[in-house]
Amino acid sequence: MDERLEKAIEFSNYMVTLNNQKRLLKEKFYEDLIFFYNGCQFTVTRELINFCNTMIASEQEDIIIVDDNDIPSQVLDIQEFYDGIIDTYFSASNTYFAEYESLKKNRSVGNLVGLDLE
Amino acid sequence: MSKGALLIARNNDTIDYVKQAVFLANRIKKYLDIPVSIITDSVNYLKDEFPEDTFDEIIKIEYKDDINKKAYYDGSLYHKKLNFKNNYRVEAFDLTPYDETLLLDTDFIISNDLLKNCFSSPNDLMMYKKSEDLAKVRNEKEFDHISDYSIAFYWATVVFFRKTPLNKIYFDLIKHIQENWQHYYSVYQLKSTLFRNDFAFSIAAHIMNGFEQQYDFVNELPGKHLYTTDRDILHKLDGNNFIFLVEKKNYLGEYTLISVKDQNVHVMNKFSLNRIIDEVGYE
Repeated sequence: MDERLEKAIEFSNYMVTLNNQKRLLKEKFYEDLIFFYNGCQFTVTRELINFCNTMIASEQEDIIIVDDNDIPSQVLDIQEFYDGIIDTYFSASNTYFAEYESLKKNRSVGNLVGLDLE
Repeated sequence: MSKGALLIARNNDTIDYVKQAVFLANRIKKYLDIPVSIITDSVNYLKDEFPEDTFDEIIKIEYKDDINKKAYYDGSLYHKKLNFKNNYRVEAFDLTPYDETLLLDTDFIISNDLLKNCFSSPNDLMMYKKSEDLAKVRNEKEFDHISDYSIAFYWATVVFFRKTPLNKIYFDLIKHIQENWQHYYSVYQLKSTLFRNDFAFSIAAHIMNGFEQQYDFVNELPGKHLYTTDRDILHKLDGNNFIFLVEKKNYLGEYTLISVKDQNVHVMNKFSLNRIIDEVGYE
């Protein structure tokens, strides 16, 4: 095979794997953002964080929040709920950042998936 | 209320589902910390070959060689037609020893504790609807709807259910659908006549929802159903780190490497899953 084409195909394979790994990291991030409270499931978003922060600032004691399955859930201790979602958000986003940075540094298909191909 | 996981393992002449069940049971106990029971027609084999304390309860069913053949692939270049013994799933409601049951296929590999949250959920029946193909090169529409002109697709791979009167009606309805499969695959315009639990569970959900799709008789399990098909190969499993060779689009027999960490994955290539179990052992 022409060396120029060979090098391009090698890079092309690397790009496919890199983008697949990025996609799967994002899926894991979304999964890590799920927070469970009173049996209900909440995907932590910046909107949810801001909403809870506003509720705390306006000194609301208990509120109703609709979960991922459209089930209304009564949150009796908004501060406890807020602490939980903040913890979930930081844990998920820090893991995502660390794994993404590590992915970017890998320059071969083998390194991207943690496999010694030499 | 008692809670636990339930697996169904019925070997055919090539695939050792019992081995997969033992492997999965140990992972369920490790990550979800719940007892596991098994429904099987190979009780003697299970007791002779595997540790006795793996299962909470062993539920024996009669051995039958069902004629429901399908092609089992091992990567994109090899396949073998084998008996697909999938018709006991509907019995799970009657046979489960638990009030709250997590029913799993033996090729759904647990690698985190996410599904533990089902047991504290107010929802009595949960399945996956959203899914993600690891390869991302295939047409995923077949997992959105059960056919091009039909209803939403639910995966019967993992089902959480409580023993409620309503769920009894649901499982009895699935039995009815299974017994009258010719009628239902025609009415719901399925492409294949092969009985599939995913289709039967989806059809029953549609009927229970008042023949509507937007209602929520079935709720969604947390996260997404990640899967690889039997055209892909599980190459390595190191703890929670899976490495797959997933098929390349338009290049038969060529693969792309993919790794997945700390996520549950449905590994449909039973041949490669069993090879990996032989390699890593049951713990």
